[in-house]
Amino acid sequence: MLQLRELQKTFFAGTPNEVRALRGVSLQIEDGSFVIVIGTNGSGKSTLLNAVAGSFFVDRGAIQIAGKDVTRWPEHRRASMIGRVFQNPFSGTAPTMTVAENLALAARRGQPRGLGRLLPARIQKELRDRVASLNMQLETRMHNPIGTLSGGQRQALTLLMATWRRPDLLLLDEHTAALDPKSADQIVRLTEEIVSEHRLTTLMVTHSMQQAATLGDRIVMMNQGNVHADYAGAHRRHLRADDLVRRFDEIRREERLDASAAQLLRETYV
Amino acid sequence: MTLLLSAWTIGLILSLLALGIYISYRVFKFADITADGSITFGAAVAAAMLTRGVHPVTASVTAFFAGCLAGLCTGVLHTRFKINQLLSGILVMTALYSINLHVMGSSNIPLLSVTTITTYAQSLGRWITGHDSATLLGWPVNARDVGSLLLVGAIVFVIALLAWLFFRTNLGSAMRASGDNEQMIRALGVSVENMIVLGLCVANGLVAFAGALLAQYQGFADVQMGIGMIVWGLASVIIGRALIGTDSVGAALIGTIMGSVLFRLIVALALRWGLNPNDLKLVTALFVFGALVLPTLMQRVKRHAPAT
Repeated sequence: MLQLRELQKTFFAGTPNEVRALRGVSLQIEDGSFVIVIGTNGSGKSTLLNAVAGSFFVDRGAIQIAGKDVTRWPEHRRASMIGRVFQNPFSGTAPTMTVAENLALAARRGQPRGLGRLLPARIQKELRDRVASLNMQLETRMHNPIGTLSGGQRQALTLLMATWRRPDLLLLDEHTAALDPKSADQIVRLTEEIVSEHRLTTLMVTHSMQQAATLGDRIVMMNQGNVHADYAGAHRRHLRADDLVRRFDEIRREERLDASAAQLLRETYV
Repeated sequence: MTLLLSAWTIGLILSLLALGIYISYRVFKFADITADGSITFGAAVAAAMLTRGVHPVTASVTAFFAGCLAGLCTGVLHTRFKINQLLSGILVMTALYSINLHVMGSSNIPLLSVTTITTYAQSLGRWITGHDSATLLGWPVNARDVGSLLLVGAIVFVIALLAWLFFRTNLGSAMRASGDNEQMIRALGVSVENMIVLGLCVANGLVAFAGALLAQYQGFADVQMGIGMIVWGLASVIIGRALIGTDSVGAALIGTIMGSVLFRLIVALALRWGLNPNDLKLVTALFVFGALVLPTLMQRVKRHAPAT
């Protein structure tokens, strides 16, 4: 279970560039739940994911994963509980190292790393079998540098790596946004398969209303650094992509109204 | 022939320096100028101990750990105190200058009258050739030179083998990944900061060890001997890269050693043909400059070439 209490984060505090990215986000995600996070640019959805992953510490609030308070844990320590896939397909793999080496590194996520061999003969077969299960013909390229593969292939491997050891929490940060439509579809299908097979607690940020409407069992909509709407259960099931788009339009109209009201006040009184 | 043998031997000794620079510069993309100080530090520690009658092996191994300490300082300055890479190296290098003077007690320690690794190399050479001098391919050679080359070659072989094995372990692979993609390896639970500190420790340990061997081979330690050594190491690493041209660890390690030997041979030839020794550092710097900008220049030329 993931529990977020009153998370606050301000970037560049006290400067003209101050951004209040998170303004008291509270969220509770049950075990095995697949939550989709959507929101406009700058709504704080990626910041939320990074806060959970530990890319930075929050200014206020608390983060609990599987009953442990990880608020002050550095990123690499939280990694023992979290699997991550990034938006940039190049971010999740070490390009000059081989496919097998990358996978073997991921197989020890959060474990101590000593002077044992990275690729002993006994794990080579398991690596190959798991890669073969992707049906992408990558098992013949186990000893090629992973940097020679395409973005889609690398993202599929990153997904495999993030879930190699069952994570308490899987974080997907717009992990299909940088791919061509065909690869993106493939990755979405793979995501569904892996998440449902292992019943992973998942937090996925996406820009695609289509993905939001078809994937997951709960949708969290963010706006201005806070949770704007939270659809679960029956609400979630009746939600269509069009409804989400309409909700976004409403938000935008409200914001424009705010802005023009402020303009009016300024012109009248200043 | 003596010239050739000595160029090979020094090239091999400095290949340990180059292996250190390989770790900091190629694995971590960290231009670690600490090397200029730690090579002298290694020489100073070894020389000071040798003149007090310590066994050469103990002295050389201690020099290695002294270098580790220097690398540890640079690593901690950079990762814990967030000081820029180059500046952390410069601070430690500068501090080491004073420390080296203290360790040595003077700016130069001659080692000709004490027992050093070279003493053992001489007995080794005499045992192999049977005399103080012998002929190799028709050339007269000195037993000391033959012995030194063999001994240094064996040491470099063992260290390169250990490095190769290390980079195939879980820890060593995590270290390579830290230099390759920080974000990824952090997400897999590795502290990149710890990896940098550990990497710089090992790198400077190797550099200091090279310093200890160099001092024993040339028969003195000098407080100035480290100047420009980082550029020397970079040149070797770059030549090695050009010779081998792949990213696999084994090939890169062999390339780096070959690069160091080749570079030393080129320098020996250039000096023989009348290059003023005072110009050596200038020429080395120009060489590294050329190697750094050439790839970008080539690309620019290619881009501007008319499409066919």
